[in-house]
Amino acid sequence: MSTAPPLPQNISASTVANTTSLLRILALGLISAAAIASRLFAVINFESIIHEFDPWFNYRATRVLAAKGFYEFWNWFDPTAWYPLGRVVGGTVYPGLMATSGVIYNFLHYFNLPVDIRNVCVLLAPGFSALTAWATYMFTKEMKDPSAGLLAAAFIGIVPGYISRSVAGSYDNEAIAIFLLMFTFYLWIAALKQGSALFGTLAAVFYFYMVAAWGGYAFITNMIPIHALVLLLMGRYSGRLYVAYCSWYAIGTLSSMQVPFVGFQPVRTSEHMGALGVFGLLQIVAFATLVRSHVSSKQFQNLTAISVVSLGLLGALAFIVMTYKGWIAPWTGRFYSLWDTGYAKKYIPIIASVSEHQPTAWPSFFMDLQFLIFLFPAGVVMCFRDLRDEHVFVIIYALVASYFAGVMVRLMLTLTPVVCVSAAVALSSLLDTYVDVKEPSLPDATEADKKPASSGAVGSHAGTSAAAVASSTISDIFNAAKSTKTSKPKGIWGTDARIVILLNAIGMLVFFVFHCTWVTSSAYSSPSVVLASQNPDGSQHIIDDYREAYYWLRMNTPQDAVVMSWWDYGYQIAGMADRGTLVDNNTWNNTHIATVGKAMSSTEEVAYPILRKHDVDYVLVIFGGLLGYSGDDINKFLWMVRIAQGVWPDEIQEPNYFTPQGEYRVDDRASDSMKNSLMYKMSYYRFSELYGGGNALDRVRNQHIPKVGPTLDYLEEAFTTENWIVRIYKVRKEDPLGRDLKTANAFAQGKKRKRGRVGSRRRAIV
Amino acid sequence: MGSKSPSGLIAKGYTVTLRAPKDEQPLLIQDGLPNFSHVTLLASDNKHFAKDITPQSLVELLTLGTNLMLTVGPKQNLLTSLAPEFSLLLPPPATPLVSFFPERSDPANVVSIDIKSKPTPNDTFSVFSAAVEGNIWFSGTPFALGSNPLLFPILSAPAESFAADLTDAPGLVSDALVEASEKGGEGLWAGSSLAVVAGFQTLIGGGTGHGADSGPGEDKQARVVWVGGSSLFSDEFANKKVVEKVKDEQGLKVVEKPSANKQAALDIAAWAFQERGVLRIDSVSHRKVNTTGTPEMYTTNDEIIYNVKISSFNPINRKWEPYSAIKDLQLEFTMLDPHVRTALPAVRSIPGTYSTRFRAPDRHGVFKFVINHKRKGFTHLHHTATVPVVPPRHDGYARFLSAAWPYYAAGDAREEKKSKKE
Repeated sequence: MSTAPPLPQNISASTVANTTSLLRILALGLISAAAIASRLFAVINFESIIHEFDPWFNYRATRVLAAKGFYEFWNWFDPTAWYPLGRVVGGTVYPGLMATSGVIYNFLHYFNLPVDIRNVCVLLAPGFSALTAWATYMFTKEMKDPSAGLLAAAFIGIVPGYISRSVAGSYDNEAIAIFLLMFTFYLWIAALKQGSALFGTLAAVFYFYMVAAWGGYAFITNMIPIHALVLLLMGRYSGRLYVAYCSWYAIGTLSSMQVPFVGFQPVRTSEHMGALGVFGLLQIVAFATLVRSHVSSKQFQNLTAISVVSLGLLGALAFIVMTYKGWIAPWTGRFYSLWDTGYAKKYIPIIASVSEHQPTAWPSFFMDLQFLIFLFPAGVVMCFRDLRDEHVFVIIYALVASYFAGVMVRLMLTLTPVVCVSAAVALSSLLDTYVDVKEPSLPDATEADKKPASSGAVGSHAGTSAAAVASSTISDIFNAAKSTKTSKPKGIWGTDARIVILLNAIGMLVFFVFHCTWVTSSAYSSPSVVLASQNPDGSQHIIDDYREAYYWLRMNTPQDAVVMSWWDYGYQIAGMADRGTLVDNNTWNNTHIATVGKAMSSTEEVAYPILRKHDVDYVLVIFGGLLGYSGDDINKFLWMVRIAQGVWPDEIQEPNYFTPQGEYRVDDRASDSMKNSLMYKMSYYRFSELYGGGNALDRVRNQHIPKVGPTLDYLEEAFTTENWIVRIYKVRKEDPLGRDLKTANAFAQGKKRKRGRVGSRRRAIV
Repeated sequence: MGSKSPSGLIAKGYTVTLRAPKDEQPLLIQDGLPNFSHVTLLASDNKHFAKDITPQSLVELLTLGTNLMLTVGPKQNLLTSLAPEFSLLLPPPATPLVSFFPERSDPANVVSIDIKSKPTPNDTFSVFSAAVEGNIWFSGTPFALGSNPLLFPILSAPAESFAADLTDAPGLVSDALVEASEKGGEGLWAGSSLAVVAGFQTLIGGGTGHGADSGPGEDKQARVVWVGGSSLFSDEFANKKVVEKVKDEQGLKVVEKPSANKQAALDIAAWAFQERGVLRIDSVSHRKVNTTGTPEMYTTNDEIIYNVKISSFNPINRKWEPYSAIKDLQLEFTMLDPHVRTALPAVRSIPGTYSTRFRAPDRHGVFKFVINHKRKGFTHLHHTATVPVVPPRHDGYARFLSAAWPYYAAGDAREEKKSKKE
């Protein structure tokens, strides 16, 4: 066979094999290094600090684990969170992340490496991203070949969609969960391919780890059964499927029930019923197959077929009855919000209020995945070419994850791995085709006029190679389906065609790398605890108001003081200020959050008894009006109102907070409810004084604040940070004379008291 | 001032500093700290006072724990604007208490009040000691009491007395009073619902027992006594005889008795200056049954024993003595709402100790032991202690579950099989 460039001939097969495996190991090592390195922007640009909100809780929990040991962590009751309800942390947490850090920490200390637990936490996510790259390599290798695997590993290593959740300091469950997700899927595919109970068991073990690590485990719980079900429907039932699925399901479910937070959910809730149903179905099908193999008569076979169908129907009916009776918990609201994007806003505002639960905007697909999003469909289509069992898996995964990623920004994370895998399959097919130096043998005379046209099409569409590959693949399938009799020689003639395509592909890859680096460094590496802005001379200016306020609380308030704030800041207050909070980011109690929302959106007189009942000593609000920091509490205020309205529809009504024209205003046209609300008062208290008593401008909303600012009777200002981002108020105690504080304040300021009437006495008859 | 109180107070061991209304020194509050433990304002006829004596500074004195004794005069002055803060309603200026009964030679605005008519503030506690007997001479302004629960009458006006303006004698009722009645309602300025001496016990912070207001704080509780006229304390009234007509065999007989003013004044001062009715919580302890030492947290359904030691101040030997006489002490175990509310009876064998035993609710959370005892005349007792109640530990659950008997049976069966094989 002829080749385009000449190839060296005198190399033994073993040398080739050794060299390729060495190169693969080297490539994987470099990919891991790149994956870790690109996640360190956050540490270099800022410092080694825990990011955002949830990681602060994980970090705090890990510290407890490291200091007191696993059993104390297991039984940890946190009396400072959700005051006064408290939080049974051991039973309401996915402990996988903390346990992983604890193991690493103890391992390092066993070898006398005194690494601080904070650094273990900060660097855990980058470390696991290297493992994710490896797991993706293994998974993609099962799909196509090692070279596709290497491409997939490289993609997942630096793709922003995954980096967004795994930069250094982003110490969240997702940091280890994506590795576990990919590795469990790999083990499942391996188990399915070989019909191996060992791999099935391993898949179950990693499934257990995943359950212990992230609530998103339900994705695996449903993906594998759907795959098995589709294989069944495709008539691909085999002993391998039976062994792989049953070993995974039995061991995985039993072990997942050992996680206290999960408990009996795998047998009690609708989200887990699919897996159980498929398990039952497999038993029936296996039994039927067994019977069929032993019984020859046609009638008997029909009988088994009927009994199988009726048994399946009976099982489904039983499931419906049990749901109806309440033995199986129905689908949760979170689940419904996946089907109806408007559902959460209507019924569970607490979920809708989280920005990462919003539907995904189109640009963010490009931002997070860049050119992979174009290759992704091509890769999925190529999976149809072979359509082995594992390809079915990728196709289902792609469909399901694409839908979910469109519904929720957050679920972009689950889409990213399959995009990387599919894109790698597509790109590696392209490269295989064009790097392959073999020239095709000369075509038959009948084919001669067809082929050049086809290759010419490839050349002319070189600019959009993804489309080209897709179209050529489709035509391949089309041709394969059309004419199976004559096998056409396929291939590329000449070096120039190859170079054009390869240069193009490499160019795209280079652009991808630049894009990923830019997105990572500019968008995904901000700790959000520390804000950065630019000085006029271009140098970086750090705005550190959050930590300033939290450290003020830590240093100046009693140890058992309770701080009320909107739930976003609960974990940070607990982690950095070490003070009790009413609500935090573990939004388990809607009523408690609504109580805070009500206090924030009511007048002082209404809010004060609530504050006192909950022993609140300080109230913390975030105010961005001075700096133009848009993520402040006034912008979140409507969510507080909505959530409070959900529980107290008679007392709090959203329309009251708008102007009659339906505008959301904070200037002198603001509605009375708005102006009298605690949140408004705390945000703009003394704000106009800052501007010398006039023309105070709120830079977030671009509105002028009235000259006479709000007054506070039941709270007093305790602390305001440098840039006014965090304002802390102290709740005043009851008046010693038993008056309400408004009257007491008026008296203290020397205002004349209106002479009150004595209510209950008889009136004189005139 | 011609008052008998200072000598009586000095005899009790008080150091008395006298200050004329317009003297600038000594200041009531210096550098944010009160200069005196108790302050009495007897200059009721004055209209103007020194700069540092304002309604606001008097209230500040109360928050700093200084007791006040205030006497209201016929003219309007700073007390007129202070009184509403205590929900005390003063009649219009120059309308003293007037009574024409019983018939007597004294002017109508010098009223004798029978002390035994009603124990004040209630049956469990009386400001006046048993030594006060007979009638008290009073001349001055009465006041109506508003709805503030911290306020109570110490000495009520006689039933047949009323507030009136004596200067326009023919009508007896001034326009100002009519106007005030219009506002306040009929009968506001007449009868025994008027008080001539009223007591007020201040609240201390409400007390969440948490953060900034943890700790007892009884020492910051202050008392205020409002007196309708300073003549109550005067020597003239103390020496003035009370003329009574007593029935005997020969018909009516006129008996002259000494007035109770002197002892009453001392008793009023004793209550105001926190000699009587002063309680405090010495110590609080709680523990699990069958253990010693206060635990950091309780488990749900634990049996808890709660003890509190209360003592009262004995003014005679100036010592705190155990006090077991509270009959209605209650303990609450609250998380947002009281989950347990139980009586806290006195322990007979140990004086001053109150104890109870109860089961923690089957509910985890941060609970508070709350004692909130507010009775008129006594210092308020308020104490909270925060304690988390946690679910059982992972190894704290029952080992044998009745629901699991099939599995136990299966296990037994296997064991038997095994042993048979061997």
